[in-house]
Formats: sequence, C-alpha cells, structure tokens
Amino acid sequence: MRGHQNPVEKPTIYLDSAATTLQKPSGVSRAVAYAMGHCASVGRGGHPTAMLAANTVFQCREAVAELFHVPKVEQVIFTQNATHGLNMAIKTLVHTGDTVLISGYEHNAVTRPLRKLNATIKVAQSPLFRPDMMYQRFEQLLTPDVTCVICNHISNVFGYVLPLEEISALCHTRQVPLIVDASQSAGVKSIDVQQLQAAFVAMPGHKGLYGPQGTGILLCNQIPNSLMEGGTGSDSAELEMPSYLPDCAEVGTHNVCGIAGLLAGVRYVTKRGVVSIAHHEKELIKKAAEELTVMGNVWVYYDHTQIYQSGVLSFVVKGMDCEEVGHLLGEQGIAVRAGLHCAPLAHRTVGTMEGGTVRMSVSTFNTTREIEQFLRVLFRMTQR
Amino acid sequence: MDYYFLLCRSLTYAQRTVAILERGGLSAYLTRVPQTVAVKGCGYGVKISKRYLERSLSLLDYHQLYPKKIFAISIDGMYQEHPMP
Repeated sequence: MRGHQNPVEKPTIYLDSAATTLQKPSGVSRAVAYAMGHCASVGRGGHPTAMLAANTVFQCREAVAELFHVPKVEQVIFTQNATHGLNMAIKTLVHTGDTVLISGYEHNAVTRPLRKLNATIKVAQSPLFRPDMMYQRFEQLLTPDVTCVICNHISNVFGYVLPLEEISALCHTRQVPLIVDASQSAGVKSIDVQQLQAAFVAMPGHKGLYGPQGTGILLCNQIPNSLMEGGTGSDSAELEMPSYLPDCAEVGTHNVCGIAGLLAGVRYVTKRGVVSIAHHEKELIKKAAEELTVMGNVWVYYDHTQIYQSGVLSFVVKGMDCEEVGHLLGEQGIAVRAGLHCAPLAHRTVGTMEGGTVRMSVSTFNTTREIEQFLRVLFRMTQR
Repeated sequence: MDYYFLLCRSLTYAQRTVAILERGGLSAYLTRVPQTVAVKGCGYGVKISKRYLERSLSLLDYHQLYPKKIFAISIDGMYQEHPMP
C-alpha cells in the first residue's frame, strides 16, 4: 500500500482488504478525529454536542440508505460488524430446531450461530464459479421444511460472486425469508434492497465501505432481535424496549466516532462509484491471476470469464504450506491472509480444507505496480 | 411568535421530519420533548412556526410520516395539545 508505514517502518503492500481495508480515504480519519472531539451521545441530550452526534448518525443513515436503495432511513441499523448483524438477523428468523438452507460458501458468522441454535443446516453445495449449478441446488433443497435461507453475496475465500438475485427471487416465490451476507460485496457490487426483497442484509463498515473497524450495518425489512436490552434514549419511562426501528435494535451508546468515519467512507464510495471501484479491483485481480497461472507451481482459483470473480483471489503454492507462503510474503512487506479464512465450509466445498489457501484481496487504493511487486516476490519464492 | 411542537416517535423520526420539512423549504427545529408532555419518557420532537403548521402536516402526510401528538406552544411557554388532523 503506497505511503503506508507499518510499525517497523517498512512499506507494506496491503493485499488483505477482504479482512479490513487498511488504507482509507483521507476524510475517514479526519471525521473520526473530529467526532472524538466534538460529538457526544446520540439521543442522550439536547445540547449542541449531542445534537451534532445525532446529526452525524442521521447523515450516515441517509447516505447508506441512498447507496443501497433503502426506502426509509430507520431501516438502516448500525452494528459492531457484519457478524453482529448476521447474529441479529439469524436469531430473529431462526429458532431452535428450525431447518435452514445455506450456500456452500458461508462464513462461520453464519454457521456458528446456526449451530448454537441447533438448527438443521441444509447446504446447497455446488462447484466454484458455477452459479447455474448453485441455483439448481437451491431450487432442489428449498423444500417446505426450510424456514430461512442464508446466502453470501461474494465468497470471502474465493471472491466468487454468487447468483444472489436469482436465489432471492426463488425465496420470494416460495415465501421463505432470506438473509444476505454482503460482507464482501458492500461497496463493490450494486445492492438494491428494494429489488432484493431480503429480510435482512448484513455488512461490515470497515471493508468495502472504508469505515473504521467496529462499524457494521444491518439493513432491515423487518424488525430484528437486538440481542440486548437497555437504554435507547427513547420511551425511557417504559420497561419494554421500543418496538420500532431503529431504536429497537440499537441499544446503548452508539459508536459515533466510527459512524462518523463510516459516513466519510460511504460518501467516498458513492462519489467514486461502485462500478468504477469494482472494475479497478477486477483488473488488478485479473493481472494477478493470469500471471500466477503461468508460474506453473501455483494453483489459482479464478474465474477466467471474470463474470463471477470479485477483488478476492485464492491460490496455493504447490509444495508449500499456505501459512509459510503468507509468512514469507509478510517478511517481504506484503500482507495477505492464509489458512481457512473463518470459512471452513467454503474450503470443504472447493476441496481445499486440508491445506487452506493463500488469499489476496485488493481495494480501490491498490495499484498495478503493487501487484507486479507482489508477483515478483512470489515468483522468487516459488523458484527456491 | 407562536410555535407548534410535533411530538415524534423517536429521534430518527424527528430527524426525518426535520429533513422533509427543510427540503420542502420550511424551517423546523429538532428539540427534546419536555417531560411535562412526554408520553413514554425521554424523546425528541420538532418545533415549527405556527404559520407553517398546515403546510408541514400536508408535507409530512405526503411522506406518510405522522407525529404522535401536536402541541401548541403559547407565548408563555405552555404546551397545549392540539387535535390531530
């Protein structure tokens, strides 16, 4: 990542944006710092600093609603991260013993809450980059016993863009609620909440939306379970939680500094354009994938049509442990993530469970020169 | 000048109310609900000029956003409930 210095003052080429985008638009840190010094608690007073905080949070709701075509701003809920939002959504729609249908590319943020609920999990297994086969599996497995469908938009391991619109239409036809995990797609894929008709769409604020860590969003088409009860700054005389959005789902003091930063990030994404960001990332991944493929001893999981590939790419170096590759790249100042990426189900589906993969993932701030440097370092490493 | 106070369901609803009115060219001021008129405890509402009441309610009706209650604020600061349209 150009211009960034890690703690040992060594320049880093940052290729781990699927975990979190490290380089943010300059307005993000400014907004966080400003909020830290000027914004008090939302809904906890009428003084100027409380009202400034309230205004910041409201502006962020409006910006998010505009980006994702959410009809009403109160349907935008701020969470700690995507996992928090997914837990809220799952624990609203899934009850102990229910049968849930999920894709074969889901994250532990989906499978672990389902396990906790002792849900019967049906997995629509299908090969990588075969959305037609995935749709068929969903069609076969979406039987009357299924009470909820949960689907990733983009696999966090392989960057595979799943056929979400088709799956959503299927759920709508069969009247089964859908939860969407948009962790990798928010900011790089157009998401229209009204068209999608999902019950909930969960996403982080700190990845493709370029907000700070500790921010997330849950877009709600119905009232979610907050997971907690407490102060909301509203209906304070009542023992019961408010029944309306967003108050019913946002308990305790908001992460105003994080939300201020998220607002700057969302404004950046809106201005730069989701399509433009996605195009830039796809070009970088295309270059990396094509050159990795000809290295000979590297196995790349890539959609050569590019249609179903995002800015995330997995590969393995034959004869090397993926963690060793990640470590050696790190020593050369290149940040990637190796292992199972908290998504063992995706690795089982593709057949990489035993050894895991090395994952590189880009953002709008990566450059072609950085990819070339990464390729040179990896090439030298594989020629040892 | 006399004012009216639109008691809103929540802070976010009050903020939406202000946004709609201001985008419609009407002045509106977000403020806390006085405890003397609060229905369920703390909350927020929107203060508007008396002369904007009708246009405000019409604009809010268009956006299907309705206050919970309406109060007239007299010159001495007293709140008197006003019938909902």
